[in-house]
Amino acid sequence: MKKMLTLLVAIALGAVTPAMAETTLEKIARTGVLTIGARTGSPPFAFVDAQNQWVGFSIDLVEQLILPTLSKKVGKPVKLEKKESTPPTRIPLLASNAVDLIAETMTDTRSRRDSVDFSLTFFVTGAQFLVKKGSPIKGIKSIAGRRVAAQQGSTNARIIREQAPKAQLREFPDQPAAFQALAQGQVDTYTNDGIQLAGLKAKAPNPRGWEIVGDFYSYEPYGMALRKGDADFRGVVNNGLMEGIDSGKFFDIYEKWFGPKGELPYPMSPDIKKFMIYQAVPK
Amino acid sequence: MTYQFDWSVLWTGQSGEWLLQGILTTLGISTLAWLLAAALGTVSGALRTVPFAPLRALATCYVEFFRNVPLLVWMFFWYFAVPPLLPGPLQDWLFNHGAEFWAGMFALGVYHGARFSEMIRSGIQSIPKTQFEAALSTGLTTAQTYRFVIIPIALRLIIPPIANESLNLLKNSSVALTISVTELTFQTRQIETYTARAFEALTAGTVIYLALCLGIATLMTKIERRFALPGMIGRVASAEH
Repeated sequence: MKKMLTLLVAIALGAVTPAMAETTLEKIARTGVLTIGARTGSPPFAFVDAQNQWVGFSIDLVEQLILPTLSKKVGKPVKLEKKESTPPTRIPLLASNAVDLIAETMTDTRSRRDSVDFSLTFFVTGAQFLVKKGSPIKGIKSIAGRRVAAQQGSTNARIIREQAPKAQLREFPDQPAAFQALAQGQVDTYTNDGIQLAGLKAKAPNPRGWEIVGDFYSYEPYGMALRKGDADFRGVVNNGLMEGIDSGKFFDIYEKWFGPKGELPYPMSPDIKKFMIYQAVPK
Repeated sequence: MTYQFDWSVLWTGQSGEWLLQGILTTLGISTLAWLLAAALGTVSGALRTVPFAPLRALATCYVEFFRNVPLLVWMFFWYFAVPPLLPGPLQDWLFNHGAEFWAGMFALGVYHGARFSEMIRSGIQSIPKTQFEAALSTGLTTAQTYRFVIIPIALRLIIPPIANESLNLLKNSSVALTISVTELTFQTRQIETYTARAFEALTAGTVIYLALCLGIATLMTKIERRFALPGMIGRVASAEH
């Protein structure tokens, strides 16, 4: 137990003051390997598919955009190695040098920036509304007096309570119950992060009968996390993403996973597309 | 590292208001469900002892069906499966006027009614058969015998187990949060969400449930003493709670 504790403390301290014997770029130049942490069950970002292949949007971004730039930078081909990371393990994995980059569904927040650095934002989602096709609900401004289901304890419920006090909020502990209530008319709409709603819609018996509406009323930008203070490596990761955005390859990959024929249809709004393009600073 | 308690989260912000609202909802749903359970339990408990087989069978079906299915399933049943049977406009009106509260109330009341029923039956069956015969021989009909002799005695006999079951009912009302009834447990979780203070919020919830249950237990003891029949349930009058 004491040993475990010492180990934990060491990992925790590691997150604050990484004992950098060598920078990440030096390490990759020496070993020729980039190790990333990704999820195994988070489609379409990173998951094991029917052919037992570990694939996904965030893995493609690393493989097709970041790896080439990285190889050019260190002057030799770099191999990709994947390890499983989960929300509770991802920061310790990074801090202990077990992985160099976290490429999953991690929201970039100011408090997380105290312990890790983030790449550019590569995916944006935020809270929206799932409604039956043709519903008069168009967003957070049109839910006054309506029955709105939300996930119990979510920040979304909190925002609704503050910004739309006239809505009749019904909080359900789990997604299936909330969706059932929506399907039967107990509630008029269900609110959650857009990408969650897209997943729900795709799995519904009749996906075409549902619509995801409204501007994001909360903001969840996903970024790739890397060790704090490793500016050179972060530069390479960002350059890879920016070149992908410039060349349009980034959007092709997005289309492959989130397009109409993708694993999970979730079209990129014009605003988000603009935001992605503006993230890529000039050469 | 030791956990630093910060009890102030329970009265700063909206916490106090939420807890109060939670207590009122919990008491409201439990009281109504209790009344429903007592009514259903008394009727079906009595029917299970009558000398007429079809009525006995009907009551047995009710009891076995409702007490042997988990309460959670009943919550979903009353919330999801019952409303579609109602006409459209009424459905919509209900959904706008606390359908989840009423669904939760029915789920609790009907479920606990089946359990009350068994207690009533045991109360009735513990009354000597001669009492029944004596009542009939005074010229009362079977229904009158039940109404004026058997049930009044049975209800007095079963106060202790009923008190027990009432406490269960109150605590089971927390299951209603699965269909979004904002009762006490829901509000405790809400405080936890807003303040990230799980221990404080759960402690508050625990203490409140404890206080409510102790209140009910005390009340039931008072009722037991007030209605005790001298000579028949004589021990009760002198026994300490």
